[in-house]
Amino acid sequence: MPQPLNPKDQSLFRQVVRNFELKQYKKGIKTADQVLRKNPKHGDTQAMKALIMSNMGQSEEAFTLAKEALRNDMKSHITWHVYGLLYRQEKNYEEAIKAYRFALRLEPESAPIQRDLALLQMQMRDFQGYIQTRTAMLQARPGVRQNWTALAIAHHLSGDLEEAEKVLTTFEDTLKGTPPVSDMENSEAILYKNTIIAETGNLERALEHLEKVGYRCTDVLAVMEMKADYLLRLGPDRKAEAEEAYTALLERNPENSIYYNGLIQAKGIAESDHKALKALYDEWVEKNPRGDAARRIPLDILEGEDFKQAADIYLQRMLKKGVPSLFANIKSLYTHPAKRDIVQELVEGYVSSSPAQANGSDDAKEKEFLESSYYFLAQHYNYHLSRNMSKAMENVDKAIELSPKAVEYQMTKARIWKHYGNPVKAAQEMEKARLLDEKDRHINTKAAKYRLRNNENEKALENMSKFTRNETVGGAMGDLHEMQCLWYITEDGEAYLRQKKLALALKRLHAVYNIFDTWQEDQFDFHSFSLRKGMIRAYVDMVRWEDRLREHPFYTRMATSAIKAYILLHDQPELAHGPMPTVVNGADGLTDEEKKKALKKAKKEQQRLEKIESDKREARKAAAANAKSIDGEVKKEDPDPFGNTLVQTKDPLNEAMKFLTPLLSLSSQNIESQTLGFEVYLRRNKHILAVKCLSAAHAIDPSNPTLHLQLLQFRKALDKPAEPLDPKVAEVVEAEFEKLLPKSQKLEEFNESFLSANKGSATHVQAALSGRIFLNADSKAQCEQDLLATLDSSDITIDEAVPALDLLTKWGGDKAAYAEKAKQKWPESSVFQLN
Amino acid sequence: MVDIVPLSSYPSYIDLLPSIQTCNITNLPENYFLKYYLYHALTWPQLSFVAIVRPKGGYKAGTGRGAAGDVSGQYPKVVGYVLAKMEEEPTDGKQHGHITSLSVMRTHRRLGIAERLMRMSQRAMAESHRANYVSLHVRVSNTAALRLYRDTLGFEVEKVEDKYYADGENAYAMRLDLTGQWMDWKAIEARDRENEKNDDDAQDEGEEVGELGKKDDAKDQERMVKVKIGRALGVGDLVEKNESQQ
Repeated sequence: MPQPLNPKDQSLFRQVVRNFELKQYKKGIKTADQVLRKNPKHGDTQAMKALIMSNMGQSEEAFTLAKEALRNDMKSHITWHVYGLLYRQEKNYEEAIKAYRFALRLEPESAPIQRDLALLQMQMRDFQGYIQTRTAMLQARPGVRQNWTALAIAHHLSGDLEEAEKVLTTFEDTLKGTPPVSDMENSEAILYKNTIIAETGNLERALEHLEKVGYRCTDVLAVMEMKADYLLRLGPDRKAEAEEAYTALLERNPENSIYYNGLIQAKGIAESDHKALKALYDEWVEKNPRGDAARRIPLDILEGEDFKQAADIYLQRMLKKGVPSLFANIKSLYTHPAKRDIVQELVEGYVSSSPAQANGSDDAKEKEFLESSYYFLAQHYNYHLSRNMSKAMENVDKAIELSPKAVEYQMTKARIWKHYGNPVKAAQEMEKARLLDEKDRHINTKAAKYRLRNNENEKALENMSKFTRNETVGGAMGDLHEMQCLWYITEDGEAYLRQKKLALALKRLHAVYNIFDTWQEDQFDFHSFSLRKGMIRAYVDMVRWEDRLREHPFYTRMATSAIKAYILLHDQPELAHGPMPTVVNGADGLTDEEKKKALKKAKKEQQRLEKIESDKREARKAAAANAKSIDGEVKKEDPDPFGNTLVQTKDPLNEAMKFLTPLLSLSSQNIESQTLGFEVYLRRNKHILAVKCLSAAHAIDPSNPTLHLQLLQFRKALDKPAEPLDPKVAEVVEAEFEKLLPKSQKLEEFNESFLSANKGSATHVQAALSGRIFLNADSKAQCEQDLLATLDSSDITIDEAVPALDLLTKWGGDKAAYAEKAKQKWPESSVFQLN
Repeated sequence: MVDIVPLSSYPSYIDLLPSIQTCNITNLPENYFLKYYLYHALTWPQLSFVAIVRPKGGYKAGTGRGAAGDVSGQYPKVVGYVLAKMEEEPTDGKQHGHITSLSVMRTHRRLGIAERLMRMSQRAMAESHRANYVSLHVRVSNTAALRLYRDTLGFEVEKVEDKYYADGENAYAMRLDLTGQWMDWKAIEARDRENEKNDDDAQDEGEEVGELGKKDDAKDQERMVKVKIGRALGVGDLVEKNESQQ
């Protein structure tokens, strides 16, 4: 039982609670201390004081005090509730839920405890618990619509659609009269109910319900979209209505290809009926002459002479208008080689027949047309499906000559250098583009990105700092973190990874990982906020999205790099001290003596950097002690700004698991997730999980080059395991692996047949050669020769050729010979420059 | 090929939020946490729109939601967006919308994307929220944007705001009347009455709870505290005061 206080102290205690609610923290502490002076063991007061302290950022002290409060008063719901709140603040939700449950046992009717518990149950997706709590809350206050809606959400998300609908209907039945149209909460609740009905699959009923109530919902577009969607899915009987519905949608927004798809499906126009399709789109061009979609989509459909005619009109119109995004809008056509060639022919034709070209006419319109055409051709020849680098450069130079200040042209020139395999030149040219318009952030972004691709981390940050709030703690980099600038932090980390600066690479990649955690955390406040706002459909969609948050390509990319970094760290622990020098030539690599020397040097460098940073930190601390903090908020200094603590992990593979687990569960169809999973599991001697990854990868692409090499490695690993496998495990693994690479299969034969089946692809050949060396170290000389020969193919791209350098490092082969030959093949490149 | 789709209505494209944030920080100096985007999407789900590049070969079309084409899980490239809201405490007491942020990638300019995004948002403001007008700020040096707002969309300059932007540049405060796009609520309510008359016989016993509900509802509204959030205010302010324990 809570300890009794005398009336005066009792009122002081209430004062503390009020202080807390009004965020008068200092006053609250003072008042609490007043109570505690006379009642030093008063648990509730201690708990309230702890809560205030925790809100002031003193979380450790707060926890200590809250525990003491609990010891002094185990039977008080306040001490337990506060204990739970502190856990919640630490994001230890499971412990928080336990504490709330204790509190609720002591005070079953307490609304605040119920509410706090409910929020956590939602955050943890404990739907059964949420249903229970929400039912209790509804019973306590059945007059509040929110309580009904919340219970419906609980049932809905737990999968009980019928119960969810029932709850909503029960509330609706209690309404006296129809709420006014301005009642958006009502409008949204109705549409929410409609989506639940639709989710049951009974579209007839969903449509009927929508017809009955949709006219009074204020989200007009949503009602139209739902109706059109239901009608289309209801099939042949409702086609006429579906057609009408999609027509109405297009009248609102003619720039959505999905609506055209719907209209075409509803009209039952066959995909092959190009004439009818073109006529349909033409109708919409007429209705909406300024739009793009209805002009552009037919180019996807039409073929031959029809295509040529339509493309001619489209291209000329856009080039005359000088639309800089024309190529971006057209390039997806190039998967059809015939269309690609027609576009090229057309635009080359415009250039050669241009009067501005012939007589240097000063007609501004002619000039703009010519210039746009050059620009288009520069992008066209720079594109991987229509690549001709020298023509690309030629055209971009002509465009630049006509308009030396055009940022787009200069940007394209930088891109051309990038595709030449010359990131050095590319970064320089992009910097020139940036200087043409220093107030534009887009070009600034590009310039920074090109710096990073050239491993110029500092210069990139300098560029970025022109648009960041540099007074933030941590400067420009601090602001980029605060503003969750994922692309930059990821690219920065990847640049460090390329340089084998693993500490900083891990630092950045972890930062991105943490931003995803923040995004997951972000939903918390909306569990209560959205109920009050009543925008339930958007809320439910958000909850579902949060559950697959890490499916996003931003996550996949970051996690892939992080796992690679940890594998590298596991295989070469000395990299924890910084990059080691690589050997250019010579099969022997570094001698032990040289290695030791290099390691010593790296350690020294690391210490030097740490010293600089710690000096800076001290200086900042001293400055901060003198300066008054402006917003009163104390930003914590990062204790590990270089990631040195991260890189010194004892168990890199275990760290890698943190990144790998979401990857395998949410991006399992990405073959790289599976092949990386294999690498991690094999090193951890988890053979069952390793073979599972192989099977999954095999199902996606059985001839994937990485997978091929892994199959060989796994067979060998099973033949000679590092430590003997449990017989039961071995049996399971064998059975599974037998389907991928039978035990009876001779590995050399397997490898050579992979090679001859994939002769045309440099990447596959590289994998097969690695396989050959793996199976027989004596084949090295031959493999090096064969690798060199891949450069003779006219198909090999520079991106395919570059990884060969890493292979040669692994094999201890002759990199110089390969690099020399590659440089002859791609004379403009810089990537084969060995240092 | 660019499509203009709603951000968080039906079907929901909310999984594009991280890409929208990237589009913003790539193009503009005024940036926000993801939570601020979430706040817009979840408070005014009708008002924000996204421009996406249609994937090669189009969207997969399922038999479920979005039979005409479904974007979910495909993460198409975002090349533009409009992030919009209703002004929460209008100083003139008039309900109105506000454009928080609008941007189109440099690679996709002059395709009419920004205009389409704006028109979609404006219409939704008028229909869903009876916005009297929509307001926005634009840099005085941004002639391209100015042309769009003034000449194409019909905005008028209301005033110049001195040093509105962090770098010291002035802003035009612009607005556009939206009352012409309002829905006829009177007609809707007339239809309501018609319907009610028709199923008058369906009177039931739900009344008492309904009355109770009104009382509690009023009480509940009293306890609500206005919430504001923005870059300056930080995330903590999203949590209401009465969320704390007593």
